[in-house]
Amino acid sequence: MIPMIDFLLIFRILVFPGFTFIFFLALFCEWIERKLEARIQNRVGPMVAGPSGILQPLADIIKLMTKEDIEPRDTKKWVFRLAPLTAFAIMVFAMCFLPIDGASVLSSGTAIASSGFNGDLIIILVFATIANFLLFLAGWASSNPYGTISSARVLTQFLGYDIPLFILALTPAFIAGSLSIGAIAAGFPYILLAPWAFVLFLITMQAELEKGPFDVPHSESELVGGLETEYTGAKLAFLHLTRDVQLVFGSALVVTLFLGGPSGPVFFGLDWLFYTLWFVLKLLIVVAISAYITNVFARLRIDQVLTGNWKILLPASLLSLMLTVVLAIWVYHPFGIGV
Amino acid sequence: MAGAKTWARTKSPWVLHFNSGACNGCDIELLALLTPKYDVERFGIKLEPSPRHADVLLVTGCVTQQCSERLKRVYDQMPQPKFVVAIGACACSGGVFEGNYSVVGGVDKVIPVTAYIPGCPPRPEAMIDGIIKLLNAINPPKKQKQIQAPRAKHTTAEVKQDVKL
Repeated sequence: MIPMIDFLLIFRILVFPGFTFIFFLALFCEWIERKLEARIQNRVGPMVAGPSGILQPLADIIKLMTKEDIEPRDTKKWVFRLAPLTAFAIMVFAMCFLPIDGASVLSSGTAIASSGFNGDLIIILVFATIANFLLFLAGWASSNPYGTISSARVLTQFLGYDIPLFILALTPAFIAGSLSIGAIAAGFPYILLAPWAFVLFLITMQAELEKGPFDVPHSESELVGGLETEYTGAKLAFLHLTRDVQLVFGSALVVTLFLGGPSGPVFFGLDWLFYTLWFVLKLLIVVAISAYITNVFARLRIDQVLTGNWKILLPASLLSLMLTVVLAIWVYHPFGIGV
Repeated sequence: MAGAKTWARTKSPWVLHFNSGACNGCDIELLALLTPKYDVERFGIKLEPSPRHADVLLVTGCVTQQCSERLKRVYDQMPQPKFVVAIGACACSGGVFEGNYSVVGGVDKVIPVTAYIPGCPPRPEAMIDGIIKLLNAINPPKKQKQIQAPRAKHTTAEVKQDVKL
């Protein structure tokens, strides 16, 4: 018997809402971020490439892809070549578990609640950690003092902030009573039931994405280009793309866990279109908040980042989880809220 | 495909600043480019920290004997295609330091220069004009609408015509 080829699934993975859509969404979010940053600094930002400079990130990527690719002699060749590409691939794969158009990319078009499987929340968090670790390897393999210091800082930072991130991601899971992303996204907007966890999650996400005020791994005034210092051409393009997709992934995770994911009013029976619209709109709000935090606060020192992590954020996230468990068991669940 | 390549290259020139023994006059004017008043990010120009990321090397200063080796090395570290812009009278020809025993005098004695922006120091408008002329030389205006540089009073930037990608 010839196995049936699921063309819908292939289309979903490669075009919409899979690879192509995620790629352009990431570039679009970078543009939004650069424009917001420019406006906050009283500038106008990119203007020449496309209308209002909307094609600027695409121009950057194409330019980098077509530049000469230099490999310095002392680099660990295979890690140097593979780490940026693998990090990008894993981030896109992690994005595929999120219900962008109402169902996760890997399921062929079902309802929000039943897409995915129980436990995929843990899996995508693990993917995000692996991608961060690959970025560390990328810097380490470039055998450049700046890249090495930056890598060490990446490792120090993400080892710390992963724990609060996991704990805080469990908050909506506890209220929803499920570890499936679909079930969490289909439920209530949990920002209303656990606003404290939302605020803590946003802060932790800033640190996890190495955005300001936690951007010590690539502080330009100290570390030149950070872990990207030795990278040129296509490899640098993939490192940039990884950062962009990480930003989108982080924001999408906030949207899915706390803002009700793609849920919203649907008209004309076009579920997928309106689900995507709501998802992207909520995503842009989170990206805007993140860009605002990045630009308003000054960069912390590495010791302040670590102190903030182990002494403030970790206990706070544990307290948040306890509060959520108490409320979920004795208040929310008996009255049928948020299940 | 080639069109997209040229388009991308003219729309996203990332620059690296190299001071080869300047008096800091040109450097201050150069940094003014990146401030909100002139904001060259409009043209996609970003100041990059590492020579590995840069497309355009902006050199200020008269190139001292000690610096010439380093200038050559930084230039060699940049990936192809790369362009060099000499900013200020010293970088163009050695300026008032011409003939000094410790000075090579002029960036083009060490590495190939694509565009010269004279002035002591050149105004930021002149630098924008020079960079835009460089971009238009990469992608000739007949193929595409010319990028309009903001009106500047004192621009005397000259660009070599035989720029190749």
